[in-house]
Amino acid sequence: MKALRFAASVLIIGAILALYRTLLPVNNTTVALTLLLAILGMSAGWGLGEATVASVVAVVGFNYWFLPPVGTLTIQDPQNWVALLAFLVTAVTASQLSAHARRRAAEAEAGRLEIERLYALVQAMMLSGNARKTIREFVGKVVQVFGCTAAAFYYRPSEEIFRSGAESKPVTDHDLRVAAEIEDTSIDAQHQLATAPVRLGGRSLGSMALIGPLPSEQSVRAIVNLMAITIEKARALEDAGHAEAARQSEVLKSALLDSLAHDIKTPLTSIKAAVTSLLGGAPGAETELLTIIDEEADRLNQLAAEVIEMARIEAGKLHLEKRAVAVADVIGGALAELAPALKGRPVAVEVSEGLPAAAADFEFVQHVVKQFVENALKYSPEGSPLSVSAALRSGKIVIGVADRGPGIEENERARIFDKFFRGRRHRFETKGTGMGLAIAKGIVEAHGERIWVESEPGQGAAFYFSLSASDGGHQS
Amino acid sequence: MSAGKILVVDDDPQIRRVMKATLVGKGYEVIVARTGEEALEMLPREMPNLVLLDMNMPGIGGLETCREIGAGSDIPVIILSVRNTEKDKVAALDAGADDYVTKPFGIEELLARIRAALRRSPSSPEGGPHAFRSEDLEIDFDARRVKAAGREVRLTPKEFELLRYLVAHAGKPVTHRELLQAVWGPDYGDEPEYLRVFINQVRKKIEVNPARPQYIVTEPWVGYRFVAP
Repeated sequence: MKALRFAASVLIIGAILALYRTLLPVNNTTVALTLLLAILGMSAGWGLGEATVASVVAVVGFNYWFLPPVGTLTIQDPQNWVALLAFLVTAVTASQLSAHARRRAAEAEAGRLEIERLYALVQAMMLSGNARKTIREFVGKVVQVFGCTAAAFYYRPSEEIFRSGAESKPVTDHDLRVAAEIEDTSIDAQHQLATAPVRLGGRSLGSMALIGPLPSEQSVRAIVNLMAITIEKARALEDAGHAEAARQSEVLKSALLDSLAHDIKTPLTSIKAAVTSLLGGAPGAETELLTIIDEEADRLNQLAAEVIEMARIEAGKLHLEKRAVAVADVIGGALAELAPALKGRPVAVEVSEGLPAAAADFEFVQHVVKQFVENALKYSPEGSPLSVSAALRSGKIVIGVADRGPGIEENERARIFDKFFRGRRHRFETKGTGMGLAIAKGIVEAHGERIWVESEPGQGAAFYFSLSASDGGHQS
Repeated sequence: MSAGKILVVDDDPQIRRVMKATLVGKGYEVIVARTGEEALEMLPREMPNLVLLDMNMPGIGGLETCREIGAGSDIPVIILSVRNTEKDKVAALDAGADDYVTKPFGIEELLARIRAALRRSPSSPEGGPHAFRSEDLEIDFDARRVKAAGREVRLTPKEFELLRYLVAHAGKPVTHRELLQAVWGPDYGDEPEYLRVFINQVRKKIEVNPARPQYIVTEPWVGYRFVAP
């Protein structure tokens, strides 16, 4: 093909020279310009080599047949020397320029093609919100769009390898892992293998290998960057999807608990209102029966409240409103609410001087103290004293309630905060839901604090929980 | 003559039944509504002395109904609700309720609160002030009119009683318990959140800058004090 074009270029020049020499006598300038035109045409159409050969042939022929003395390769007139030189330089320079332009055009075309392919790759990246599926599709697309034989991607976070296309000389898993550690892209043209690490903001996501006819190094880099961005986007989408699903399920759970509370308490409201109004005017024997209904309605209400609270704690739906809380107020409030049950029980309250305010949700913390006191009442002999204390212990405010009951055996101490756990001794006698201490524990842990029990069997038990001091100073 | 006309608003038929039976037995005249919309429609026609309002109802719900009642009249409202958090209580009081009772309740407690809400202190208690006047605040206790910064402001009956009690004890700190019992009745005393809400509302109406009150000042840990400048 190339040889044919060389022969053709020589023939064309020969034909022009023969035409003007034998059939169409014109002046030398016209001949020179016609030759120049033909050479320019060749350099634009075929390339620098053909044009240069044609120029040399044209110079020799022009000199031989047209420049005096005609028929020799010598030149008489020095002016013709200049003309001939100008012709040669013009022909060669023009050929070079046009060949250069051709090369540039070819390069631009190749670049355009690669950009087009990258663009096709971007367009093909329909993010599905599933990172693994997106990666698999991407690897497949790279092979399809860039015309490689095969591609492989090593995804570091899950240690997975995705492959696509037929690998004649497969890249091993080990090669891919190594490539993820290496800083730069490596292109091995001889083995038709390119490997590159996939990184995003310095964080390694894995590595990519292309096998077969390779795109340019810039394209390999662009593919790898696209891969990183695609993974990151897919992951963000996936995370957003998870968060939304979790949020919706939380909202649903919360709404369910609220409606459960409402549905249980509504019939209890009617029962309680009806029975308490009957109690007002009932004769002796009936009073006893009505009192039972009233008390059991209360118990059912308490049970419903605790079940719902326990569910809320387990669902992580406890909504704390932390403020600066005076511990003395918490203890005072809890004792005031339990005043009827505390009748006949000496209660010693000891709050350290200058105790800082605690950062806590007042109502919930008061509930914990109430639970401790109720527990102490339940498990210690009637008339025996209780003590409630609050003091600073190694930077934490520690609130405790101690009784003079039988205490708790060591093997039961760890399980006492478990739901429905009840000490061996009390399994059949004590009424209650078995959720009180579990709820207290849930509340304390939601505050990020600790709850524990200290007991000396036979000497009584003391329940404690800690609170952090509030930085905000005293309560308003 | 009945002890008063009470409108019971609750979407639960059993609760309406038991409230009607009990309250009629105690000498009240009782009318019932199933929703907030129905209650608001009945209000101008029936003119009850008190509304017992369920918080959680389909339609516009208890809080919105309470706001609408307060906007059109000064009928006292007691909110009944299964929720017992302070946030819910404050929301109800902020909506203009006079009181808040948690379901389920003993009937004696509810009756006491109904009596407290219906009780209006005499328009001019013995020894109480008849008027207060300063540069930017004028109170006429007999006519129940308050002018702040030259503009007439409307106080609800409970807000007005609160202000009257504080003015009557001007210069001296009044404890939470004392204030609650004076304004709501002898069964009260452990509802400091009631005071927080009502004092804030009064401050918004009479103080130039409610965030830095000039007239009603907080006595930390104790209560409130009225200061005549």
